[in-house]
Amino acid sequence: MRTITAGQLERALAAFATVVGQQWVIADAEGRDGYRDAMAPRDPASYRPLAAVAPANVEEVQAVIRLAGEHGVPLWPVSRCKNFGYGGAAPRHPDVVMLDLVRLNRILEVDVAQGYVVLEPGVGFDDLFHHLRDNNIPLWMSAPAHTWGSVVGNALERGVGYTPYGEHASKICGLEVVTGEGRLLRTGMGAMAGSKAWHTFPYGFGPAWDTAFMQSNFGVVTKMGLWLMPEPAQTLNLGMRLARPEDLPAAVDALRPLKLDGTVAANPSFGNAIRGLATRAPRATYWQGTGPMPQSVIDAATAQADMGYWNFSVRLFGDPEINAINAGKVRRAFDGLLGAEPEESTWNRGDELRGSGHPVPSLAALGVVDWLGGSGGHITFSPVSAFSGDEAWRQYTTVRAMFEEAGFDYYGGFTAGQRYLNHITMILFDRAQPDMLERANRLFSALIATAAQNGWGEYRTHTQWYDEVAQTYAWGDNELLRWNQAVKDAVDPKGVIAPGKMGIWPRVDREGGA
Amino acid sequence: MTWRIVTPLALLAALAMTAAATAQETAPPSGQELFQQRCAACHGEQGWATRVLARRVPAGQGALENRDLLPAALVRLAVRRGIGSMPPIRRTELSDADLAAIATYLEDRP
Repeated sequence: MRTITAGQLERALAAFATVVGQQWVIADAEGRDGYRDAMAPRDPASYRPLAAVAPANVEEVQAVIRLAGEHGVPLWPVSRCKNFGYGGAAPRHPDVVMLDLVRLNRILEVDVAQGYVVLEPGVGFDDLFHHLRDNNIPLWMSAPAHTWGSVVGNALERGVGYTPYGEHASKICGLEVVTGEGRLLRTGMGAMAGSKAWHTFPYGFGPAWDTAFMQSNFGVVTKMGLWLMPEPAQTLNLGMRLARPEDLPAAVDALRPLKLDGTVAANPSFGNAIRGLATRAPRATYWQGTGPMPQSVIDAATAQADMGYWNFSVRLFGDPEINAINAGKVRRAFDGLLGAEPEESTWNRGDELRGSGHPVPSLAALGVVDWLGGSGGHITFSPVSAFSGDEAWRQYTTVRAMFEEAGFDYYGGFTAGQRYLNHITMILFDRAQPDMLERANRLFSALIATAAQNGWGEYRTHTQWYDEVAQTYAWGDNELLRWNQAVKDAVDPKGVIAPGKMGIWPRVDREGGA
Repeated sequence: MTWRIVTPLALLAALAMTAAATAQETAPPSGQELFQQRCAACHGEQGWATRVLARRVPAGQGALENRDLLPAALVRLAVRRGIGSMPPIRRTELSDADLAAIATYLEDRP
């Protein structure tokens, strides 16, 4: 890793100030600590950045990146910094200046006829929600469990939501990117002056690059086209539960054909009992013991809360007649598998939005960090599973056993993509208990290794474990990592942008012994 | 039909949970309005942070707007440095002026 001298940093910050103004160059201790990962099991001082710079527009981003290259100071781009289980704002390495993009906060365009929006990275899900609702725009957004974060940042990190457009990365269409040398690039049809299809035709001419800027350090995205869903006439929800842990495989296999043939377009998520209980109350409400909650206690708590062990909803979006037919197919597919009759509810266009399946601004999901009742923290381990009951069961039993052996409650769920499952688990801990932090760190590394031995890779990970996860994608003597490094060195020769992101280090840091 | 927006949204950062100020409005939001926009999602009557704080403060004072005493300096420190499970809020997402307005509102609230 390269070394940044005090003088080098001072000169770089002075240069940045000429672009953005002194007030948007942040170098004091409190300001730097604002980029802390508030949820991680580690000492914040170990990754405190050197400073931060906050440009207001794309021209300032370009100028800052050019200056960073001239002064040899790497930047770590962030937007809203609310992906807490994956590291929040924190950089991979402390010797960087944060490139804070939250001031690029404009909703640039909403095209109702074509069904897309063009956003800057500082726009949050709550901002987009209010903009669409306040202007009576008949397009629906998709959002993850809480709405504090950046729409652009979440989609670029391949976050998921729960509408038919919930695989956010697949709805990205057309990017504007500042390169590592400060030039401006438009992907796809955006490369043609005057094209009206930048945000509708995803490919352009020749190699298509949108996906190369996702979970990537090849450039800084300053504009993003995102497809939004036309408001449906109706949504029909079937709330379902599985009584026992071992009911999962059959339910996964029942759902798969409904996803493959398009009957279910949204992303149902099988959430386990701890996931359901943790949003309601701290663990001590149910049990005062130490170590993981015994299954008998979980069973009693879910019975009292009127839940199953696995709880999920299949929500159908569309015309009432079609929803009715598809609801019949779903009921038949799960017949005999459920712990209780499905709870059916409908929302019709014009009704109050809450309960429709359209996300509404909420931070309630963050309340799970109060599970242990102290200074709550969490890290998210999220391996991909094949869409198969057997494979989901193997992953669930393996991961749960490792959580419990390390003394943690297994908090997890399987969110269904069209042809895969995202197994999203959280290690919940009390940051005031050093022993717990040590166990959480050990568990996370052990999970990565065990998962890789089974052919299970994470779809996304916490900043701290980028290298460990990247090294599990090592087929062909690490050819993919070598390819990523070659691209990085070609498009960002000075290694300005996010060194170490997803395990991709620029040459200047690799040769410096990263 | 196409909307093209050229002014920054007033609702940008963290805890904007209610329909509130738009760029067209001229008067700056009050401390109370800012609290509703930026803090109430966690610190309102039904927020999860209120549930957490209710275990640590006198009965009935879990919601910040119900505190008998809440010094502005404490609010400022908690917001900028984070506290307990609350992450720090950066000055790029909540300006010093807006934070001061919120803190003053919570300190002076009748």
